[in-house]
Amino acid sequence: MTKLRMPHLDWPLALAVFGLIGIGLLTVYSATSIPGAHQGLWMKQLAWCGLAFAAAWVVAAIHYRLYDSLAWPMYAIALVLLVAVLLVGTSKMGAKRWIEIGPMQFQPSELAKIATTFVLARFFDHARLDLNKVRWWLPPLFIALVPFALVAKEPDLGTGLSFPVMLVAMYFWAGMPLGRLLLGLSPVFNVALFFVTGSIWWFVALFAGLLAFARPKITMLVGILAINAAVAVTLPQMWNHMHDYQRRRIETFLNPDHDPYGAGYQIIQSKIAIGSGGVTGKGYLKGSQKALSFLPMRHTDFIYSVVGEEGGFLGAAVVVLLYAVVIIRGYRLAAVARDGFAGLVAIGVVTALFFHVMVNMLMTVGWAPVTGVPLPFLSYGGTALIVNCIQIGLLQNVALRRREY
Amino acid sequence: MPPGPPRRIRDERFGVLAGVAFAGFTLVLLGLLRLQVVQHEELSRLAEQNRIRLDVLRAPRGAIRDRFGRLLADNQPSFDVVFRPMPAESLSRSRAVIHTDWLMRVASLVQDDTTIVKRRVQEANRTGQTAVLSRNAPYSVMAAVEEMRADIPGVDVQVAPIRRYPEGSLGAQLLGYAGEINDQELEKRQDAGYRMGDLIGKTGVERKYEEMLRGQDGAEFVVVNAMGKRVSTLSEGPPRPPIPGHDVTLTIDLDIQRALEEGMAGVEHGAAVAMDPRDGAILAMVSKPVFDPNEFSRGITFARWRELTAGGGNPLLNRAIQSAYPPGSTFKVVTMLAGLQYGLVKPESHLPTACSGGYFFGGRRFGCWDKRGHGSLDLLTALQFSCDVYFYQLGLRLGLDRLQTIARAVGLGEKTGIDLPAESRGLVPTKEWYEKRFKGYMPKGALLNLGIGQGELLVSPLQMALMTSVVANGGRPVRPHVVMKVQGVPEFRIEKPTEPGLEAAPEIWAAVHDAMKRVVDAGTATSARIPGFGVGGKTGTAQNPHGKDHALFVCYAPTDVPRIAIAIVAENSGHGGSVCAPIAARVLRRVLLGDSLATAPRPPAKRDSTRAAAPDTTEAPGD
Repeated sequence: MTKLRMPHLDWPLALAVFGLIGIGLLTVYSATSIPGAHQGLWMKQLAWCGLAFAAAWVVAAIHYRLYDSLAWPMYAIALVLLVAVLLVGTSKMGAKRWIEIGPMQFQPSELAKIATTFVLARFFDHARLDLNKVRWWLPPLFIALVPFALVAKEPDLGTGLSFPVMLVAMYFWAGMPLGRLLLGLSPVFNVALFFVTGSIWWFVALFAGLLAFARPKITMLVGILAINAAVAVTLPQMWNHMHDYQRRRIETFLNPDHDPYGAGYQIIQSKIAIGSGGVTGKGYLKGSQKALSFLPMRHTDFIYSVVGEEGGFLGAAVVVLLYAVVIIRGYRLAAVARDGFAGLVAIGVVTALFFHVMVNMLMTVGWAPVTGVPLPFLSYGGTALIVNCIQIGLLQNVALRRREY
Repeated sequence: MPPGPPRRIRDERFGVLAGVAFAGFTLVLLGLLRLQVVQHEELSRLAEQNRIRLDVLRAPRGAIRDRFGRLLADNQPSFDVVFRPMPAESLSRSRAVIHTDWLMRVASLVQDDTTIVKRRVQEANRTGQTAVLSRNAPYSVMAAVEEMRADIPGVDVQVAPIRRYPEGSLGAQLLGYAGEINDQELEKRQDAGYRMGDLIGKTGVERKYEEMLRGQDGAEFVVVNAMGKRVSTLSEGPPRPPIPGHDVTLTIDLDIQRALEEGMAGVEHGAAVAMDPRDGAILAMVSKPVFDPNEFSRGITFARWRELTAGGGNPLLNRAIQSAYPPGSTFKVVTMLAGLQYGLVKPESHLPTACSGGYFFGGRRFGCWDKRGHGSLDLLTALQFSCDVYFYQLGLRLGLDRLQTIARAVGLGEKTGIDLPAESRGLVPTKEWYEKRFKGYMPKGALLNLGIGQGELLVSPLQMALMTSVVANGGRPVRPHVVMKVQGVPEFRIEKPTEPGLEAAPEIWAAVHDAMKRVVDAGTATSARIPGFGVGGKTGTAQNPHGKDHALFVCYAPTDVPRIAIAIVAENSGHGGSVCAPIAARVLRRVLLGDSLATAPRPPAKRDSTRAAAPDTTEAPGD
């Protein structure tokens, strides 16, 4: 076995993460510095950092082959816990996401995310893998969609969506041609465009472009066309036949914080905070808007708007840059990984991280709906920090063993 | 373990993924630039000088109208004194607001306890939602708020729609009322977007059609100054207009409802239902005593609420559908129908024992209401004079199964499925029920009592009206309903009837109709006669173990093509023929003759003729 030698660590990745966690601690301190509740949270967060670092170390030290062989049992446990959380979980703001273990709260969706990555990587990492055949491309769909459905039911659409997003990236890495992948996703575009624009013609145009790009085989073309036609016909029908209150329920599901008292207000306040920061920001601890309304979100989901207010465009851009380093170094690790499993794990982990970063940041600048997804490494919260560090630990695990023979 | 794809392909794929990541981060940077460079000036101004507040634009609740479009419920503006928590800037400021001086001033303004005001303000500060301190405040209070604005930061006047019932207590239990949502309802309905202070239907149509009547609130961002006064709206977030609720049209006919209420004016406790037998549409529904739903709109005090709900009267109870009474002799229609349907008797049949004022069974005497006795009667005449002895024998011959089958066929013993909440099922006992109740032993006298509508039988006034309707239209089942249409919901449909109805030979129906017509023409309910029209009816008197007997009457008219069926129950009033039949006559005159109610002559009181037998034995239901 290899000795853990420092030079094998991916240092840019590690330093970028340290940078983000540092900025996170400073911002949590600033966000909770105004007189009122939550003061001193940064010290708690510091304690969580220690725990998270230890967890990352342990995860990195164990050879990933063990994760490979334990993938299915882990996945099974994760699904059981996801069902359990729906039955006995702790409710917070109308969503059942947590299981309480003593003083700690645990989100099974986080375990499921990692376990699903392992199972998918194990499945795709097969000598006879042939994504032209149904028996190879269909099972991963189920592997990802089962936890997606369970998490979405909590409801936690933000976290739930990371499963299919991860799956798409891993399909691609496993060798599915880009055109075909986009064609396969076309029913999703279909639904999304219908909800956004209210007409199907946008999708028809997009679909024509896709066909020209992908040039699918006739059997596949027919299949995809049939699915899209079915969606296009039933969706407006269903929508028109629903009562207003039923539509409202669906809207609430797609956008849980639709309530104008909550989300609209937060978004406006977030925009004002970021916008008033200008290019250079108001200076550390000098933000006047960070007391975002009275909802205790400024140190969690909306922490990025505190960064934007106090650090200005420059400060916010530094954070973007650090995330870019983490994500792009992560994808790079997949390319240089020693074997297929390691590469695929890196792809899954990095894509999930990337998705969460995007959803949160685009939410704070007002370009994505409010979904209650925290910003990795920056937002206050022990569970999320530990899980994110475990993800980094997995990436370092891949990095440590990339030259192992 | 396979090594994965070759390095060149991996680099290619890395390029694609890195490109996606790059595009994503660029998008974030663009979003930042837009806010921090392009909109910097505007957003800074908002941040420094002003506060943004979200004002809810309340959606008006749908109106309720009668079948001809006459208004039964709509909305009117209420001026509320509210507390709006201060957004943004600093928490310390809003904490300073709950200062003793402030609290005293506000509490005296809204004439409420300081602890209550304090609790509401704290709740508002915690949740960021506006709290109502005083609903429908008088003009003087509003003027005072405007005057003192500088001294009571956060307090404001807000206009919100409240419910108005122009007809006051008319049809109050049927309409129900809408009031402020309470904590339990809020907990249950949060997913549907309800918030503190929302109106919600509590009873009656208001409750059953809550989802249709309720609109969708809109919202707008407004810019306010340091005093909390509105300066302008915010261009960044355009207002979302409120969507009004759907208007609901009832099957009620206001004229008939008025006639029925006026007829019932002398009844202290009771209920009446008028139904169109052709389709089950409820034409009028009255429950006594009544209440004024407007009281609830204005905000009701706990003491007044206690006053309304405590005590025996309970005006909030809709006796027409929620109370169940023994049907008394009105049930003899069902016994007669069952006897004919199962071929046990013919209209001209005499039964072995002639009425001598009583009937001996199982060593006990069961009395007839007419102690002098009716002598030997055929079936039609037995119903006409409501002879108990005849129906004791018929009940015995029928047995429990056949009797309850026919009772259920015409709509008794099961919920009618009317579109109103909390309907009573009533009780039509079955063999299983008796076995459970009496531990396998069915009292011998039970069948006799069932035959004349006494004993364990219980029916709601609505079920009595439904029974009358089904009988009147020759056994065709109908679904009782109060809502005719919902504006903007074209797919609204009346559901299928719950009772099976009864297929019987035309001669059977002719006999039942004939007998019921005789009851009105020359029997126990002559006060329900309408010149020029045939009226079929049946009186009843239900024994009440707690006091004076309940008077009952059912009828339908005209007999050739029935347009209306009525059931009336007057609690503790004595006799159906003398108390209830004149009430029905009043309504029938209105419907059939279009009579002015004021000139309608008061019919002479009839002698007691329908009193059901009180068996002289201890075993029979007590009087």
